[in-house]
Amino acid sequence: MFTPYLALLLAFGVWPIVVAAITSFEPSILNPGGGPLNYLVVLQDFRFLPALINVGIFLAMYVPAMLIVVALMSLLLDTVQGRWNLPLRLTYLVPASLTGATAVLVWYFLLEPTLSPYQDALAALGITQGTQIWQAQNLGWIFVLMAFFTGAGNWIVVQYGSLQSIPDDILEAARIDGANAVQIAWQIKLPLIKKYLVYMGILVFAAGLQVFVEPQLISASVYPGLAANWSLNQLAYTFAFQQNNLGGAAALSLMLLVVCVIAAVFVIFRTDFFDGIGVKRK
Amino acid sequence: MKRLSLAIVAVAAVTISLTGCTNAAPAVDPDAKPSLLFWVDTPRVPQAEAYQELMADEIDITIEVIAQADAQTKITLANRAGSGWPDIIFGTAADTALFLDPSNGFAADLTDVVSQEIFDGFGEGNSDCLFDGTYYCLKNDLANTVLWYNTVIFDELGLTVPTTMDEFAATALQLEGTGYVAGAVGDQGYYAGFLQSSECPLADVTAPNVVRIAPNDPKCTRVAELMQPLLDAGVVDSRSSFDAGFIADVAQQNKVAMTIGPSWFGDFVIRPAESWGVPAGQIAAANMPAWGSGDDDRSGAWGGGVFTVSSHSLYPQLAADAAVWMTTSDVMAQLETTPTFPAYGPANQLWEARISADPYYASNPYPAMAAGANKISQVDRPVRFAFVAQIGSTLQATINGGGSLEQALNDFAVSLQNLAPGSGYQVETE
Repeated sequence: MFTPYLALLLAFGVWPIVVAAITSFEPSILNPGGGPLNYLVVLQDFRFLPALINVGIFLAMYVPAMLIVVALMSLLLDTVQGRWNLPLRLTYLVPASLTGATAVLVWYFLLEPTLSPYQDALAALGITQGTQIWQAQNLGWIFVLMAFFTGAGNWIVVQYGSLQSIPDDILEAARIDGANAVQIAWQIKLPLIKKYLVYMGILVFAAGLQVFVEPQLISASVYPGLAANWSLNQLAYTFAFQQNNLGGAAALSLMLLVVCVIAAVFVIFRTDFFDGIGVKRK
Repeated sequence: MKRLSLAIVAVAAVTISLTGCTNAAPAVDPDAKPSLLFWVDTPRVPQAEAYQELMADEIDITIEVIAQADAQTKITLANRAGSGWPDIIFGTAADTALFLDPSNGFAADLTDVVSQEIFDGFGEGNSDCLFDGTYYCLKNDLANTVLWYNTVIFDELGLTVPTTMDEFAATALQLEGTGYVAGAVGDQGYYAGFLQSSECPLADVTAPNVVRIAPNDPKCTRVAELMQPLLDAGVVDSRSSFDAGFIADVAQQNKVAMTIGPSWFGDFVIRPAESWGVPAGQIAAANMPAWGSGDDDRSGAWGGGVFTVSSHSLYPQLAADAAVWMTTSDVMAQLETTPTFPAYGPANQLWEARISADPYYASNPYPAMAAGANKISQVDRPVRFAFVAQIGSTLQATINGGGSLEQALNDFAVSLQNLAPGSGYQVETE
């Protein structure tokens, strides 16, 4: 039963990685000899460090924001049972129905003081001009906003699902022992869904590390080039398509993959993620 | 079940290994009807369709619409696949600079497939396509900068139309306190209208694969010296001409007395109601103000597309003929939909008949456009690195953020100096 999955994994997961690994040794203008020097060339590129810092700051805001807010909102949702639960779940999903590309446009309008429905609120903060918003130092939190609102809703509903899997008798026992709602949430529910949160953390981290759509689209709109090569993935794209350097692009992409895999392995083995399915026993 | 799965794996593996081996070019069948593939952006579709119809009996023409910004990406992918190239593509001269590099190899040398008569007809209009003595593309339209001004505001304030940059600055300073401005400089307009027209060397290709990026050249420093006082006095705006705030607070209030802008500013920025929305009968164009005497009177250019012919085309002559028709035909110049100023001389004259009769303008804007058409600065050349994107992330960003023009230029130049070696250029900074 595992084989169909394996076939797809080989075709669309493993094989592209092999191709990328071969490609990453191709020669380019910067490295006519090809070979592993491509990796060094990428690391030494003047845009690499700024992009790394940008993505690092982005992740430092995005991953905790997702984990904390999603955990909190799904716990709250879990306490609201009865007729309001369904409409609430639907409401959480609505912002997530905007894809990354659409969200960029929506947030452009929300944040542009001349066009925004929240003009007065922005003016109260002293922001009356688009140029006050659309500056290099603000891009990090703007992209976090865009990514957060497209992603959080989905995950709230998913984590609500994982909360539903907690057996009622455990919660009832806690209640009989005198635990209040906060204690139940903090000491019973949260530990029981921890591995789902870990799983979410890995996926959110991987998605964040590869942030691309938001900076790329902002760079193509009113402030052309503003976020050019802002993220590592954009830099890989530039290597591939503007500098005829597919080797460098593949090298950078593989380095991103290695970071993702290491982060995932670290998190998995530092937690009891595989407990109960026989992979790792205490 | 297990066998089925194994079969799936085997099929998948075979399919993948096969897709890598389909590079052999099919031979041309002399009896078959030739076919051409065009990649054009949306504004170029009507002229492509006109050619498709004209040649319907002789050539099967397929038109695919691509975004201009995707030209490099799509050609690189076709190079990678070893197939799927278009026969002609619309893009920028910077795309062509990349396409003709041996590492890309898409652009065809046009020397033998385009007649000298056509090249002569372009005059200086096709100079962007001339790389080291060889033509690699044909220019579709020109976007040279001119001085756009509002005749009603000029009459009201008793201003005279400036003919030099010093006069431009003096006239701009007369606007102080009136609420009017002399345009916005927080975008590519500052590069095209001022730095490029001043011939500041920022992409000056002095030898093949050698680029001079020298922000300390006097032709660079004089720009900030002239413009910084205007910015400080508030008579030019630090926002972009496309900034929603600038449009709402200034442009739509009809407070732009004059602005240096490309030939397409009139129809596409100043006129549309949803853009600046300046009423009919007020706007005129004057010659680009000169920086100095003699030939120190260049204009800049903001945009202007080119057609590049594929070196992989099965029908090189037909492909070149198509590019020639797209850029030079009378039909192109007369189509209601031809949006911009044709680069080819004879087509340009036909287009003149349309724009000069346009009642929107207070006077005929054509003479100013034509005067600058053969004076576009050739100091900065189309280069393989992302020159224009860098304007946004450095030059524009610094000006919008309230930095000085000198700082903005320096940020821009340093980023270009960093960028150029990655595309195989040696950099000169003095």
